[in-house]
Amino acid sequence: MLHLSLIVGGELRDRSGGKIGRVDDLIVRLGEDEYPPVTGLLATVAGRQVFVPADEVEEIDHGRVALRSVRLDLQPFRRRAQEVLLKKDVLDRQLINVDGARLVRSNEIEIARLGGWYRVVGVDVGLRGLLRRLVPRPFAETVGASEFLDWASVEPFTGHVPTVRLRVPHPKLARLHPAQLADLVEAASHHEGEEIIKAVGEDPELEADVFEELESHHQLEFLEERSDEQVAEVLARMEADDAADLVTEMPEERREDVVELLPAVQRRRVRALLGYDAATAGGLMSPEFVCVYAQATQAEVLERIRNSHSSAEALAWIYVMNARKRLTGAVALADLLRADPELRIGEIAGVPQRVRPDADLEEVARLMTDYDLTVVPVVDEQERLLGVITVDDLLELVLPKGWRRRFGVLGED
Amino acid sequence: MAVRVPAAITLVRDRVLAGRPRLRPRSRHATRLVALLAVLGPGLIAANAGNDAGGIATYASVGAKYGYDLLWMMVVITVSLIVVQEMAARMGAVTGKGLAELIREQYGVRWALFSTVSVLLANLGICISEFVGIGAALNLAGVPFQVSVPIAAVVVWLLVVRGSYKVAERVFVLMTIPFFAYPIAAILAHPNWGSVGKAIVAPHVQLNSAYLFLFIATAGTTITPFMQLYVQSAVVEKGLGPEDLKTERAEVISGSIFANLIAMFIIIATGATLFVHGDHTVNNAADAARALKPFAGRFAEALFAVGLLGASLLAAAILPVTAAYVIAETFGFEKGISHRPREAPVFVGVITTLIAIGTLVAIIPGVPVIKLLVGVQVVNGVLLPITLFFVWRLASSRELMGEYANGHTFNLLAGATVLATSTLSLLLLGVTFSGL
Repeated sequence: MLHLSLIVGGELRDRSGGKIGRVDDLIVRLGEDEYPPVTGLLATVAGRQVFVPADEVEEIDHGRVALRSVRLDLQPFRRRAQEVLLKKDVLDRQLINVDGARLVRSNEIEIARLGGWYRVVGVDVGLRGLLRRLVPRPFAETVGASEFLDWASVEPFTGHVPTVRLRVPHPKLARLHPAQLADLVEAASHHEGEEIIKAVGEDPELEADVFEELESHHQLEFLEERSDEQVAEVLARMEADDAADLVTEMPEERREDVVELLPAVQRRRVRALLGYDAATAGGLMSPEFVCVYAQATQAEVLERIRNSHSSAEALAWIYVMNARKRLTGAVALADLLRADPELRIGEIAGVPQRVRPDADLEEVARLMTDYDLTVVPVVDEQERLLGVITVDDLLELVLPKGWRRRFGVLGED
Repeated sequence: MAVRVPAAITLVRDRVLAGRPRLRPRSRHATRLVALLAVLGPGLIAANAGNDAGGIATYASVGAKYGYDLLWMMVVITVSLIVVQEMAARMGAVTGKGLAELIREQYGVRWALFSTVSVLLANLGICISEFVGIGAALNLAGVPFQVSVPIAAVVVWLLVVRGSYKVAERVFVLMTIPFFAYPIAAILAHPNWGSVGKAIVAPHVQLNSAYLFLFIATAGTTITPFMQLYVQSAVVEKGLGPEDLKTERAEVISGSIFANLIAMFIIIATGATLFVHGDHTVNNAADAARALKPFAGRFAEALFAVGLLGASLLAAAILPVTAAYVIAETFGFEKGISHRPREAPVFVGVITTLIAIGTLVAIIPGVPVIKLLVGVQVVNGVLLPITLFFVWRLASSRELMGEYANGHTFNLLAGATVLATSTLSLLLLGVTFSGL
């Protein structure tokens, strides 16, 4: 195991062991390999900074790097795609610890010989790595290695590296839950957050999920620089109620343009939701539900459910209306499944508990608790179903702040 | 079906929903006022935390010793303060990182660690003096400091540890209200406004060591390293970005001007009374309040005490927070006023430790606070040139700041400011050492 801090600053030696210069930095290529290989190094030879390709290097060790040849072909360093300088670009900077879903700062970079060549195997974020770099060199060697993060669970930020920008994918981020990704974006600086979102953007569905989880001022932060079309693309994939919330947060002059660009279905839903105060049932409800006429048979209703795109939470209850589209009943999905296929749904539906759009959240929460509901329907004056509130959306708002953060990854207000 | 919701729950709900959109817009006037208050923050707080117990003592003795003679200097210092604070705030908004973080990333771990240790020591020292100031201010009202200091410590601790950033920032901004006591005290002191005006525009320099010492000490107390560190970290925690630069710049400038206007009013208040009546020595801020009484009345004394209390409370919160930001940034720990102890143990631990030590030392009788402050001055004297140099270099780095880097002319001005301020700071160091 080699420590970067003990390699950098060491002697550059030719084959015969004579000192010809000093090692300044190691170059690695990110991307394909699980453990990025060293592709060269930067060294100062006779006062000039030169590039030494990996194939001229015989051995890397603490305090010295031995070359294969006697003569060194002096060439200036030019960055190639996906190459980063370990000391300049990675050491001391923030990294994503994917397993812990948190940001860490690298105190030391660990290198080892794997599969015949030197590769980055991990990052030390502990005190030992720091200590090694603070004490004078002779003592530094005696600071042993501590437990470090396996590079396989680490994703570095590369946005600040001139040529690497946009080229290094961050495949490990896909392992994280959208909520964790959102927490990371919020904890990181703007540019780093941008990098995470760009990486996630490879999968538009995931990107929309991450946006749903972001705090509103962070949502705006990352949508600000995008065109109306791009914003609409994200909004189109978000849940209608979250999309509507975000629209109300946007600057007034952009709202209409963005909503106009949404696909017809989403546009209608967002428009409908925009009319309500967010602190009420109307603002919280989602227009995604299944509501059928009382005469429909169990089999027909199941077919409707199969073809519906609504979320599983919203489909826990199926609603029944009469010929004048008034809400008359509700059936739990499980009860519906147990019923006979020929049965008309009106016969098994019970009287639904419901609220008006201007009901406040406490009322909705009480209703859910008193009647053991996971979904509460919202109706207008004519008792027509406008939308449903699912328990997950409500919990998010009524849960005491501390609870949410206590179990969050990198909670923030 | 409607349930009557108790007022307390409505309040809690509004808190919970603070981040949710509100469709019915507030009235236009209210919106404008809220917008204005929402902008106030990092710049105002950082600059005004500098008008702390030590600052007030310095300004008061400037006025007592030289009358209005040094007022012109406050104008120059204000410009310098604005230059450095603006750079720090801009870096926070553009990079989204604190100063300590940038120092570590750009200049390596040794410099970062050096700054961190210095900040920790300096802030601990100043923090102690703030709690002493709180005790002294309330002592003027007859409250024994063994009672007032621990209570103040608990209040400050709860605010920064239990509150969210938003709430804490709002309280910090409100804590600048007691500063208005100084303009009123200055008016009560019946200064000759004509001479005040003249002193501001016409520099009056004396070439003797006592004058120079106060000159340098004033510069040193007005521009302190924690101000740059705090303003940058707070801009980051507030989540300001490049798009907010215009308003944030205005906020930093107006905050710095406000802070230094207050300092000038303190000088005017003591200049019109103590100086005129030949009482030239002021040892500390409470002294200044007491000394004002015979000349400007009981009310002026009370105003000075109120100002001192507000100032000390504000700084007693800001200094531990700044130290915690710096440590967390340097070592990569979770940070933020919004975090709970469980989420950011180191951040909260640093704050708690500083407040605890500050309180303990302040209530133990016989601790030589003056000697302690001299020590703090030494640490700050070393730290300031380094901090300013980093601020200047980093803010002018195109690689880091892109299009938001210092422009050519501004960079020259900034360089000159950094050089002048650093020289003064090192001079003060020399004077302090030779004077001991």
